[in-house]
Amino acid sequence: MLLTNCYRLKSSSGGGQIDYSPIRKVDISDIALPKGYKIEVVATNLTFPTAITFDDEGTPYVIEAGYSYGEVWTEPKLLRIDGKKETTLIASGGKNGPWTGVEYHNGNFYIAEGGQLKGGKILRISPEGKVTALIDSLPSFGDHHTNAPAIKDGFIYFGQGTATNSGVVGNDNAAFGWLYRYENFHDTPCKDITLTGIDYETENILTEVPDDIAVTGAYSPYNTPTADGQVIQGKVPCNGAIMRIPVEGGPVELVAWGFRNPYGLAFSPDGTLYITENGYDVRGSRPVWGTGDVLWEVIPGTWYGWPDFSAGERLENDEEFKPPNQDLVKPVLAKYPNIPPEPAAILGVHSSSNGIDFSTNSDFGYVGKAFIAQFGDMAPGVGKVMAPVGFKVVTVDVSNGVIEDFAVNKGEVNGPASWLKEGGLERPIDVQFNPAGTALYIVDFGIMKISERGPKPLKETGAVFKVTREDE
Amino acid sequence: MMNADTRFTLLSFAACLAVVLFTESCSVRRSIPIDGPLPLTDSSVVQGRIHFMAHCHKCHPSGETGLGGGINKIPFNFLKRFQARHGLGVMPSFTEREISDEELDKILAYLQALRKHNKRDDGW
Repeated sequence: MLLTNCYRLKSSSGGGQIDYSPIRKVDISDIALPKGYKIEVVATNLTFPTAITFDDEGTPYVIEAGYSYGEVWTEPKLLRIDGKKETTLIASGGKNGPWTGVEYHNGNFYIAEGGQLKGGKILRISPEGKVTALIDSLPSFGDHHTNAPAIKDGFIYFGQGTATNSGVVGNDNAAFGWLYRYENFHDTPCKDITLTGIDYETENILTEVPDDIAVTGAYSPYNTPTADGQVIQGKVPCNGAIMRIPVEGGPVELVAWGFRNPYGLAFSPDGTLYITENGYDVRGSRPVWGTGDVLWEVIPGTWYGWPDFSAGERLENDEEFKPPNQDLVKPVLAKYPNIPPEPAAILGVHSSSNGIDFSTNSDFGYVGKAFIAQFGDMAPGVGKVMAPVGFKVVTVDVSNGVIEDFAVNKGEVNGPASWLKEGGLERPIDVQFNPAGTALYIVDFGIMKISERGPKPLKETGAVFKVTREDE
Repeated sequence: MMNADTRFTLLSFAACLAVVLFTESCSVRRSIPIDGPLPLTDSSVVQGRIHFMAHCHKCHPSGETGLGGGINKIPFNFLKRFQARHGLGVMPSFTEREISDEELDKILAYLQALRKHNKRDDGW
């Protein structure tokens, strides 16, 4: 208890925990890169930018999400970056963000629409701005959304995040906002699963009755208990999965499942699919502590462990995953579809490791290594941290899991520009190489303050940076 | 005469205090863009880095403060070994099944190299 208090005595020090009103300052001299590289600003004043792609001529296009945690709604947009930090609107969407990913392919743009209000979609947008939904009604009303896409061999691969932190709908989901909108929404498994019947009690926030208790089990609506041996029928589309559809539209297929929030998708130079997964938070009815974000190699047909494993390790009765002064994590699944594989890399706890791409050009360097944008922690809402985690771009050697910094803010400590009161990176959310592989573009979401009351994202603070070799 | 539990608690508290003092008083940052790449000439350091990434990096990114405290400035290997085997505060312990003695030795070799590595001499 005494030693636990060592940790408890320190208050959380997350990168979004700032107590002043910041103004976005963009100053590339505050950003450090490995020797031989330079960085420039490509676009500023963007509102919640989340991803970037390039047409056949190498012209960059960026999307603005149209929704951010904190329940801030704006208009999702596809913008062409014209140079001199100017942008041109190509298309916009309705109130169903966040747009989380974009890829240009054979003359069209393909966008993952998060679907917070109407369900997730994969959209095709023509260069003239005509929008067509290739699939809709994806189960995306919860904590996590429809993500990516990445296109290969005639298929659009995309991620679908889970409704909840760890399988159980709880009062944390009301704090996100969605439980009040969709009282019956919950996670859907991709295949049949059998439950242990462990339920969780909370104050029932959906009634006015004093002292009313909600009892909720996994993969079930709020205030719905479960039983030992109960089978939950799987179906596709589902939550916590990588799925795919034909580029021209058509039936959805399951690729792999058992992820929490599969955010970034990219194919390595040898054609292997890798994804980034955001790990568990210390929140809700079933909090899980100390789980890193994960880089996975995707093996088709495989289950990757959510909600009873983290990075291939079982959560059950492991003190590594027990939140301080709380109970050990109990399993919600009575049997496992398979033993999850080993991860390609385990990234920082709460780093929010998101967009991913691979270097393919020796002129840029780092060939075969993965580049990952780390949005940075959302402490204290996701759990406590002792210093900001993330807020940078890292590389991963997928052959041995070694992670190294690539683009960081200068200074004695790591953190977002607003936390450091400087002008460097804020919250990198996507990285993409141009078609030639000679320039790495970094999409920076902008400032998001976090307090006990939740996230507060600031409009018009997003930016795009471009990294090249100094001899370019 | 102190019993074993008391000695363990006192040692743990001293270790906790030392860790807090070291991590609070010193910069613990180690980052290639700032410090340059760590020389990887020793095979124990190379392998230790891989084991560190699998077991430690998530809470101590590059040895810096994150979910857990920074460990780049802690000078004593026995403290870090004690932390790994017995846990400390909210840090869990790791058994020999989870991290073998050989792997732990290599992790400590890597951390020692990382601790000594700072600002390149060739004008990084």
